[in-house]
Amino acid sequence: MERQTAIERISELLDDGELETSNTSMRIPTALRDAAALAVKELGIASSATTLTTAALRATLEAVVMQAALDDHYELHPQTRPDLGDLVIAAAELDGHPLAGQPGRLRQAATEIAANHPDASPDDVLLWAEARALPAA
Amino acid sequence: MTHLVVLDCEAVQALRDPGHPKHHRVVSQAQVVASRKRRAVAIRVVVPTAVRVEAGWDRTSPAWVFPNRLQIADSPLDTASANAAAGIRDRTGVSVADSHMGTVIQSAPDGKITVVTSDPGDMRLVAGDRNITVAAI
Repeated sequence: MERQTAIERISELLDDGELETSNTSMRIPTALRDAAALAVKELGIASSATTLTTAALRATLEAVVMQAALDDHYELHPQTRPDLGDLVIAAAELDGHPLAGQPGRLRQAATEIAANHPDASPDDVLLWAEARALPAA
Repeated sequence: MTHLVVLDCEAVQALRDPGHPKHHRVVSQAQVVASRKRRAVAIRVVVPTAVRVEAGWDRTSPAWVFPNRLQIADSPLDTASANAAAGIRDRTGVSVADSHMGTVIQSAPDGKITVVTSDPGDMRLVAGDRNITVAAI
């Protein structure tokens, strides 16, 4: 199966609202299984270990498919690929960050961070910009 | 708690069309969501189905293949939400699609809600008492 076809099929399966379930014989590390059971029982993070596992698996697959779609789009339309400055502004807008209205300051922070930390995330840059915006004590 | 991102009509249209003046901005936001999903941040993007109608988003059309692959879930206009949307439309006089936006916002579980919109005023109007972050495009 070609990569593109596989991604399309994964996407279709994720969108399928079918509630049918299947038993699996998936082997997972015992410690991980026990940690999940404890987290469900004591922290209430999900209704069951199965629900927790399913949600985590879905989230991971959704992220993979979404990134594959974006990567294909960037390949087809290279001008649409956002740079770090674009991503910092987008992150600030989605979070309602107080610096969202100051794109120039965010782009400057992105430029400064990228010079020494090329793998910095938008959230790293946002934190840096926020720290720089604080008045000196 | 899950961060809910709700798209309005222009956000959806901008996402579809690489030539749209706001395409780059909405793609940047989608990239931030994808990166956060990859880091297991609980975040999901939804589109009210009335917004899809207004935007002309037919999921079976090849023209919409890129948005289709971005794991943007439909928030359907079922009986209960149609009643709620009718109430919002009656009170505020906004469009059917914006009324449905209001229903999605007001019925969302507790957690952060970001609305990507070209009409911040109407979105604050239809949000009622819900605290929302507006990412104006």
